[in-house]
Amino acid sequence: MPAKIHVQDLWKEYERTEQLDSAALRGVNLEIQGGEIIALYGQSGSGKTTLLNIIAGLDRPTRGRVSVDGKDLGSLGERGKTDLRRRRLGFVFQFFNLLPTLTAFENVYLSLELAGRSDREPAFAALASVGLRTKANRYPHELSGGEQQRVAIARAMVKEPAIILADEPTGNLDLRTGEQVLDLLTGRCREHGTTLLMATHSPLTCRVSDRILRMVDGIVVEEPATGEMPS
Amino acid sequence: MSVVTKAFLRYLRRRRSLSLLQLLGIACGVAAAVGMALSARASLASFETAVEFIGGRATHSLERPAGPLAETVLSRIIADPAVLAFSPVIDRRILLATGETVRLLGIDPLLDRAVRPQLAHPGTPAASPAPERFAFLLEENTVLVDEQLAAQSRLHSGGFLETSRGRMRIVGTFPNASGEPLILMDISHSQRLFELGGMIDRVDLIVDDEAGFLARWKSGFRIQSGQQRRATLRDMLGAFRLNLQALSLLALFVGVFLVYNTAMFTVVSRMKDAGILRSLGAGRREIVAAFLSEILLFGACGGILGGLAGFLLSRFLSGLVAGTISNLYFFLRPAALEWDWSVLLVSVGLGCGASILGGIFPLVELVRADPVQAIRGRTAVRGAHGRAARAALAGAGVLAVSAALFWLARIHVYFGFAGSFALLIGVSLTTGLALVFCHPPLKRLLAFLAGLPGKVAAGNIRRNLGRSAVAVAAFMVAISMSIGLSSMIGSFRQSLIWWMGTQLRADLFVGKVGGAEVPESFYREMQTIPGLAGFDRYRNVQALYRGTTITLCAVDAAVLQKFTNFGWLAGGNENWEPVKNGTVIVSESFSRRFRLRAGDTVTLDGVDGPATLTITAIYYDYTSEHGVVMMDRSTYLRVFNDRTITTLGVFIDPGNPQRQALLEEVSERAIRRGLPVFTRDQLRGDILAVFDSTFAVTRSMQVLSIVVAFFGIAGALMTLFIERQREFGIYRALGFSSRQVAAMTLLEGLGMGMVSFLMSIGVGTALAWVLIRVINLRSFNWTIFFHPAWEPYAVAFAIAVLASLGAAAYPIWKVYKTYPQMQIREE
Amino acid sequence: MKKVSLCGYCLAACFLLLAAAPASAQWKQAAGPYPWKFPRDHGSHPAYRTEWWYFTGNLSANAGARYGYQLTFFRQGIRYKPPAPAGPWDIRDVYLGHFAVSDIAGKTFRYAERISRTGPGLAGAGEENLDVRLLDWTARMQSGTIALQARDKGMALDLTLLPRKPLVFHGRNGLSRKGPQEGQASYYTSFTHLETTGFLATPANGRVAVSGRSWFDHEFGSNQLAAGQTGWDWFSLALSDGREVMLYFLRRSDGSVEPASAGTLVEPDGKTRHLSRAEITVTALEHWKSPASNGRYPSRWAVRIPAAGIDLTIAASLADQELITKGSTGVTYWEGAVAGRGTSGNRSVTCEGYAELTGYAGSLGGLF
Repeated sequence: MPAKIHVQDLWKEYERTEQLDSAALRGVNLEIQGGEIIALYGQSGSGKTTLLNIIAGLDRPTRGRVSVDGKDLGSLGERGKTDLRRRRLGFVFQFFNLLPTLTAFENVYLSLELAGRSDREPAFAALASVGLRTKANRYPHELSGGEQQRVAIARAMVKEPAIILADEPTGNLDLRTGEQVLDLLTGRCREHGTTLLMATHSPLTCRVSDRILRMVDGIVVEEPATGEMPS
Repeated sequence: MSVVTKAFLRYLRRRRSLSLLQLLGIACGVAAAVGMALSARASLASFETAVEFIGGRATHSLERPAGPLAETVLSRIIADPAVLAFSPVIDRRILLATGETVRLLGIDPLLDRAVRPQLAHPGTPAASPAPERFAFLLEENTVLVDEQLAAQSRLHSGGFLETSRGRMRIVGTFPNASGEPLILMDISHSQRLFELGGMIDRVDLIVDDEAGFLARWKSGFRIQSGQQRRATLRDMLGAFRLNLQALSLLALFVGVFLVYNTAMFTVVSRMKDAGILRSLGAGRREIVAAFLSEILLFGACGGILGGLAGFLLSRFLSGLVAGTISNLYFFLRPAALEWDWSVLLVSVGLGCGASILGGIFPLVELVRADPVQAIRGRTAVRGAHGRAARAALAGAGVLAVSAALFWLARIHVYFGFAGSFALLIGVSLTTGLALVFCHPPLKRLLAFLAGLPGKVAAGNIRRNLGRSAVAVAAFMVAISMSIGLSSMIGSFRQSLIWWMGTQLRADLFVGKVGGAEVPESFYREMQTIPGLAGFDRYRNVQALYRGTTITLCAVDAAVLQKFTNFGWLAGGNENWEPVKNGTVIVSESFSRRFRLRAGDTVTLDGVDGPATLTITAIYYDYTSEHGVVMMDRSTYLRVFNDRTITTLGVFIDPGNPQRQALLEEVSERAIRRGLPVFTRDQLRGDILAVFDSTFAVTRSMQVLSIVVAFFGIAGALMTLFIERQREFGIYRALGFSSRQVAAMTLLEGLGMGMVSFLMSIGVGTALAWVLIRVINLRSFNWTIFFHPAWEPYAVAFAIAVLASLGAAAYPIWKVYKTYPQMQIREE
Repeated sequence: MKKVSLCGYCLAACFLLLAAAPASAQWKQAAGPYPWKFPRDHGSHPAYRTEWWYFTGNLSANAGARYGYQLTFFRQGIRYKPPAPAGPWDIRDVYLGHFAVSDIAGKTFRYAERISRTGPGLAGAGEENLDVRLLDWTARMQSGTIALQARDKGMALDLTLLPRKPLVFHGRNGLSRKGPQEGQASYYTSFTHLETTGFLATPANGRVAVSGRSWFDHEFGSNQLAAGQTGWDWFSLALSDGREVMLYFLRRSDGSVEPASAGTLVEPDGKTRHLSRAEITVTALEHWKSPASNGRYPSRWAVRIPAAGIDLTIAASLADQELITKGSTGVTYWEGAVAGRGTSGNRSVTCEGYAELTGYAGSLGGLF
């Protein structure tokens, strides 16, 4: 089975004047297989988000190689990367990032539409699978934080992506809700064999993952996959 | 519709008040531009109709270079093989008892119907055979009155028309499409009425062999084709029309600014959504499409609204424009423009075009934005300072271009207009940097006014530089225009008052330019009154010089030398000496337009062929932008053989003990003859009144641009308010009261208003200078003397304060309504 | 005679108000013998209210193409004396004119009309000789030769007319009656044979040299068409045996013909003979209906004058020679070239001439 995500000697350097709070990447190497559930664990500012963004093709590395789903991002071009995001990648954010003017259903359907599918049924099914079938027509501000994140998960899952990138998916939720959301996310990924890469600074997340990658000052270090709490 | 587009468009409904403000802003911008353009078009169209109606089928007209021509010329015309039809015309004005001056055409209906079949021609079987009508041909003082004039003055066939030249019996009415009130009289009676024995004013002709005809009539006559006539008249309006166009452009300019403002806000508020969409795999094309459909919807709706409003506005402005043209050039009855669906089409095009123009930079920014940062909503703040500096640098470049354009204005005034726009754009670009520089003092000022909320308000203005700078720029442009135009108009007014003091010094003026003439017999009558110190038999007539209509003036040079004190460009009243012996003086406008100086000569077509006259001096004058050539009456008689007196200036020695009695005597005698009489003060007052009404259009555009800018600043405040609702939650948590948050909002508006005003002091003054020294000088060829006045600035200050406070009203209301419920939470 | 009526109509239509004006009493009446003196009496007679100079002719171009022409000048007195102070523009007389060219081969008929006051040299007629002008249309006699010039609407005419027979005095020594009452008459003279040369121009053919013969009527008087008369038919015919005939019939509203209708026969030697109503028979054989005015005009006639041995069939050379003169006299009438053949004094002859037919397009009587 070929690696789903392959990162080799990845560097990201920022100009001093801008983005002071975004950490640099200083030679990241990692390899993630299909269907793996990975926790990218690190302190705030350790470079997790930057790494995720580069893997999603939203940001450019200063140097190094990234290949996602068998495609080399460096040679993919903007159109290819957009296409990759449409069909193969799902994104879940800390702040949910639902579009405020669209209903829950529309937020999910949007994802399908971008992937070029006009079938509405999967969107309803995805909402049902996160337990929100009945709230399909609510706007984000009419939903609780947990519900919003569940819509975001449905939005990421509905197009059946190969990989889901999640940036602090529970970071903005209370513990209980966070746990529920996490179970939902990992459960759905395991069910569909979707690769899941979660950036997190919460040990909770590490517990449900297959593997933990620890990120310190722009470098990734593999943790033993024992399911025990990282120190 | 794609969900992406839907996501954008739903904002319009969600933020109804902001959408409405933005829509109104675009609508106002479009309305101003469309209203101005339409009214300019309406006036010019009605002018063309009028000229065409009066011209009829005539291909040419034949007249003397100045004054009437002997009717014996008709025998020569009859014998000319190229003439297919002709109609001698006496074309004069007559003063009605109502005070209205009306055009009276003296025609031979039997001859005229070949040239003007559209006019009523009594006496021919084709016209009504009612016997009443034949009285027109045979009885003295019978007239036909046009239907509109008849209806308006409640005149009817069989009734009487009281005029300064006696009572006329109305023997019929006729339809008149020219728009100009018109009275028709048989040529035999009108010749007697105007004491023109043996003379006519003009012959209208239908000619088939133009070249042959012109060759036979080249000397001593002024022959114009209908086309030339129209072109000459159109040419007279040239500078005026240019100014109207510039005003329309200005309205559009402010409008585009506003749309840019709107588009900018849209971009900022969509930035995060765009980031999310990008991360979900939306391509740039989807985002662009969604954004475009939003701003185009705005543009189209605003365009439709603006088109309708502009059409209504044009009905109001047309009256002003026509009034101005009537005052300055020739009579024009305002014709209301018919509704035309293409107006809507153009308005929508304008709205959309302006939207795209205004949205293009924000759109580029949107597309180029880093989705990662966009999601975090950080781009608007970050790097704004650097951008402001870069924009200011570009602004400096534009200002340099503007300076170059002003220099080029000596080639064509268009460069001057372009330069003005460049000036405004250039300064607008520096607004961001100005806000940065203004930040510390502003902070102190606002803190002084309201303490902490003031400090926060100043910070907000600076932090949201991208938005506040555009709003400030739009407002600054509007206020600057206000200051510039007011200063220019004020200086012009002062210059005019000065000019009147130099030239209009007679104690009484009998007759009126553009009105009925003063009979020479009246002058002779005046000579019999003992004690009058002098007379100026002033003749004002339009003539062609190098294809341009100029004004010829005949005066009594010796009298003017004694009593007046012209504003000479060089020298003093000794300039009159050679004028008495046959030289001429010319107005500054004439000298500039034709690039002639003292010592040069002008060649005018006289009755005996070309006459070459030497220019001995140049004087300041604001009566004709096309130029005035002034000569002594003796010279005028020699060259043009025209004895007409337009007005008679009567001078009485100031020390004369009989002064008052003499004034009354002259007035009484003039009134007895039905001649209008004006005292010096009356005449000056009338001229100033005309002057003031002339700028009514300009003033209304000034008001419009301020209204447009008001929406701009209101929209900006509204956006800032909406975007910061989250922050309001924090303020509330920190313990800010509703009052304090309201004060903060108010001060943000005030702060932006203040910065706009401060900038406009400089820009407005510069603009006034440009209008006076470049635009007026180049388009009207006259020097206006700059008279600094504080009023325009005070008015601008009041506008700035009131508009910014007014713009803050709605957000403040919102604050009071919603603030107490605000939470710190995500949207 | 016919023209008296025409002008009478014009007067009625245009200047009706004058009928009531007391000044009209000053006009001289055509009654009693007139002291003729020529060339003076070819000129204007301003003491009489109406006067006209009427030229018609049948011409051929060198190529053989036939043309007809009509050039008519009317003087209509409006008031005997304009009130003082009178200037040149004050109206005493109004001059009207009709000018028509019939291009027989080209089957086209064009006409123009004019009206003008005397004005400063616009129109007028000399009192010493034939010298009439209406803008640039002129008819002048010098040393016994008449020169005609006119130009309008692409037509032009420049002709020299030389009398080949002495002047004809119609009626009784030139006093031609047109109604039963005293004063219903005019003084009427004609040149019935004018040898004509010159140039004619039409828009289609340009300027061509022409020759042929013309007929000149000159008539003046002060009266109006008698009540109850609806129109008239007038013919001038030149026969190939050298005779000329002028005939006129006044039609009355009851369908009868005015007994005062008459004619004149001119023999080849210039001797004339008055023809009374009873001596003439004219029968309409065919008609033509004008599409422009809906008037139904006779277009072919049988003309018989048994006392002179004349029996002719004549027809319009061109069906449409109708003039609708809204801009001058206001009358719609037919005036055009005619031609025919038959016998005269037992000899076969051809003939050509002009006919004038009025009162067919709308009753003239209704306008009175």
